[in-house]
Amino acid sequence: MWFLRRLGISVVLVWVAASVVFLAIHLVPGDPAELLLSQGGSAPDRAMVEELRDQLGLNRPLYVQYGQQMWRLLHFDLGRSMQDDSPVSEEILRRLPRTLELILAAGLMAVVIGIPGGTAAAMRRGSVFDRATSWLASLALAIPVFVVGTLIVMVFAQWLRWVPAGGFIAFAKDPVQHLILLAMPASAIGLGLSAVMFRMTRAAVLDVMLKDYVRTARAKGVKPGRILTRHVVRTALMPVITVLALYLGTLLGGTVLVEFVFNWPGLSGSLVSAVNARDYPQVVGIVLVISVLFVGLNLTVDIIYGLLDPRVRK
Amino acid sequence: MTRLPWPALAATALIAVLAILAPWLGLPNPVTMDVPHRLAGPSAAHWLGQDEFGRDVLTRLIWGARVSLSVAVSAAALACLIGTALGITGGYLRGIAEILTLRSIDVLLCFPPLLLALLVVTLLGPGATTLIPVLALVYLPGFTRVAYAGVLTARSQDYVEAMRVLGAGSGRIMLRTILPNIGGPVLVQFSLAMAAAVVLESGLSFLGLGVVPPAPSWGLMIGAARATMAQAPLLLLWPCLALTLTVLVMNALCDGLRDAVDPHPTYRPAARRLLDAIAPGLLPTPKAVLDLAHLTVEIDTPAGPIHPVRDVSLQVFPGETLAIVGESGSGKSVTSLAITGLLPGAAHVTEGAAFLDGTDLLRLPEESLRKLRGDKIAMVFQDPGSSLNPVHRIGAQIAEAIRAHRPLSDKAARAEAIALLRRVGLPDPDSRARAYPHELSGGQRQRVMIAIAIANHPSLLIADEPTTALDVTIQAQILELLSDLKRERGLALLFITHALPVVAEIADRVAVMYAGEIVETGPTAEVFLAPHHPYTAALLRSAPDEEGPPPVGIPGIVPPPTALPPGCTFAPRCPRAIPECTAAPPALRSAGAGRLTRCIRWNA
Repeated sequence: MWFLRRLGISVVLVWVAASVVFLAIHLVPGDPAELLLSQGGSAPDRAMVEELRDQLGLNRPLYVQYGQQMWRLLHFDLGRSMQDDSPVSEEILRRLPRTLELILAAGLMAVVIGIPGGTAAAMRRGSVFDRATSWLASLALAIPVFVVGTLIVMVFAQWLRWVPAGGFIAFAKDPVQHLILLAMPASAIGLGLSAVMFRMTRAAVLDVMLKDYVRTARAKGVKPGRILTRHVVRTALMPVITVLALYLGTLLGGTVLVEFVFNWPGLSGSLVSAVNARDYPQVVGIVLVISVLFVGLNLTVDIIYGLLDPRVRK
Repeated sequence: MTRLPWPALAATALIAVLAILAPWLGLPNPVTMDVPHRLAGPSAAHWLGQDEFGRDVLTRLIWGARVSLSVAVSAAALACLIGTALGITGGYLRGIAEILTLRSIDVLLCFPPLLLALLVVTLLGPGATTLIPVLALVYLPGFTRVAYAGVLTARSQDYVEAMRVLGAGSGRIMLRTILPNIGGPVLVQFSLAMAAAVVLESGLSFLGLGVVPPAPSWGLMIGAARATMAQAPLLLLWPCLALTLTVLVMNALCDGLRDAVDPHPTYRPAARRLLDAIAPGLLPTPKAVLDLAHLTVEIDTPAGPIHPVRDVSLQVFPGETLAIVGESGSGKSVTSLAITGLLPGAAHVTEGAAFLDGTDLLRLPEESLRKLRGDKIAMVFQDPGSSLNPVHRIGAQIAEAIRAHRPLSDKAARAEAIALLRRVGLPDPDSRARAYPHELSGGQRQRVMIAIAIANHPSLLIADEPTTALDVTIQAQILELLSDLKRERGLALLFITHALPVVAEIADRVAVMYAGEIVETGPTAEVFLAPHHPYTAALLRSAPDEEGPPPVGIPGIVPPPTALPPGCTFAPRCPRAIPECTAAPPALRSAGAGRLTRCIRWNA
């Protein structure tokens, strides 16, 4: 029951997102077709505007357009790119896995560094280790991701010449090179994300250590290590997982900068070129796919939450 | 508000002043080109060198701060204004307005922020003027939610109700009362939005979707310097450094503001103070299970150390129940936590000894103490709802207590856990062992806590208000269970409560605590019949009794541990106080066989 209700909410959210994306083009003052064609300040050609209006279906009443759009979306039809007339969904399917791979690698790095680090800092609260790591985390949080990326390129590719400056090679073609090229953008994102995980874990562990049931565990004479693993970390990880998932969600659109710096042919990168080319169907398609993934991710978090905490499953 | 984050505030102000004063600092024009000297290194005229068009880097850095901060401030201000207004309107008017404002804002949260920004840039085209509404839109939901939550809290408070009763109009109430009260959180949100806007602005400019060249922007500078990083790496480093430092400073400001607005206690590391070598001078009475002597506990607070427990001595004998009774804040729970070494981080024992079967618990290393806890000393806490771990089955939580002290197999421990559940009277123990705490009633949970406590046959059981959170009929059952167990196993029970009827029902002897001290001890029946301390007498008069006279409250309040009166701590509330009472703290004196009192006039 609990699960079905959450699923229902997610379906509504996806519908809302699709409607907003549809309406966005109509909310902007001025004629969308004219707006899309008016680049470089010169007035667009009337015939071209008419053609585009026709192509985008802008001549029909709004509710008809809305209905058609929703109908097409139900059939996973995202339209055709205005740049090369290829189906938008094809391009998305080709690029999406690369972006997901990047996000997952960064997330993995953040979990491996941030969670043990945060727990260790919380256990040694106020120690030199705690203060040093907290300071490092502040620094890592302050460096914007494209600055990290650019510096990585400068140091490892430009000065040390250990790695190429970026690019992409399919895993099937050359696994080692693929992983090297993945590691650079992934660590650029992973640095800041590790800092977030570190801070969240540290705060959550400190919070849970003050709970009554941890006092009960101590009153039972349970060993400190077991209190940590069984009573503290499991509960403390719940907010941490939520935050991680939310951050991974924002990364779905947020890898733009890193993909650009490392020339990683992911989904977000093609979003930038679509924005630059005013390729409206492409932009809408990508935004929509990412929003759906975002909503799906939040749903997954809720389910994991339910598995970790029996009280949620009511 | 506690202390403001002055260093971060000063650093932010410095950056802001530099940005504002940029045109009057006598710097070269940030867009004047000098192509022959492109990529020139630092010189007297150009301290940080010249960029790919020969423009002065230092000037462009400072002008970049100007662009960055003005976009960030405008965007945050716009988001703050609209978002807060929406949140207040939604929270104050409720109904349709609430749905329209809040739910429509929630839609924005369906999109990752950078994506939302890109979507708007597609529609409006790049440029600094587009950036402001774009960034404002991205940070709108934060303000709306903070304002909404603030209004919901504020509107339930008495003064808003009072103003409404006085006939103030809705608009006036919002402006005069609610706005100042949500100021703190909104300020925090503002600083967060600004720091994030600086990052997002530079990111968009870096992609060529933000500030349009030749205007100086850190993001643009980093983007442009990438092309020449082989020849002029410093050109790349300066804007990276400027951006990182600015964000670092602004993040520090955010953290500081958040701490100032929402202060949480900061504990000093719990270094357990080396107990003074002065022996309490009392040999442990061989008969007593627990012999507590001269216990004093100190808590570090920002205002200085306080002593919630002072010079407390008591003894508990096998098969006996000693009740510690007192109002909340009298120090009874702190006493029990000190005995078991479970004091929270900021509190520590400064004096005293607690002998359990001849071992001083207060001087025991943590590992030895851990081995005693749950084995020879067990505890039952007040709130069984929060004292059981919500994510583990109750059978497993009992088995954990068993296996912490005895090398039993998992299966054997589980079988014993079920037997214990049966002993404490939980119906259907075999299947209930697999239940989670939230699936049990309050009384059943407390039975589980008792099962955990008696799992290893303790010689001392400390029960800290075990029935306070339960309703009356359940209270009686739990008290009966505890009495049964005490008789059956011959354990010593230290029972902490504020309820006198409970004391009368369960305790052999009673110790009355007031403001951190024991003021009277003695056999329960005698103390209840003829109290020797005016506080005990007042406490008895304040307890409801069906046959006796109606209860009489005690005038005044318990003095806070930060402001203890000189002399007798009860004197300010005492009907029998004389000037001598306030002269010096009275000592605990003998008042008949087995009785002690801290009143100098007990037999007057």
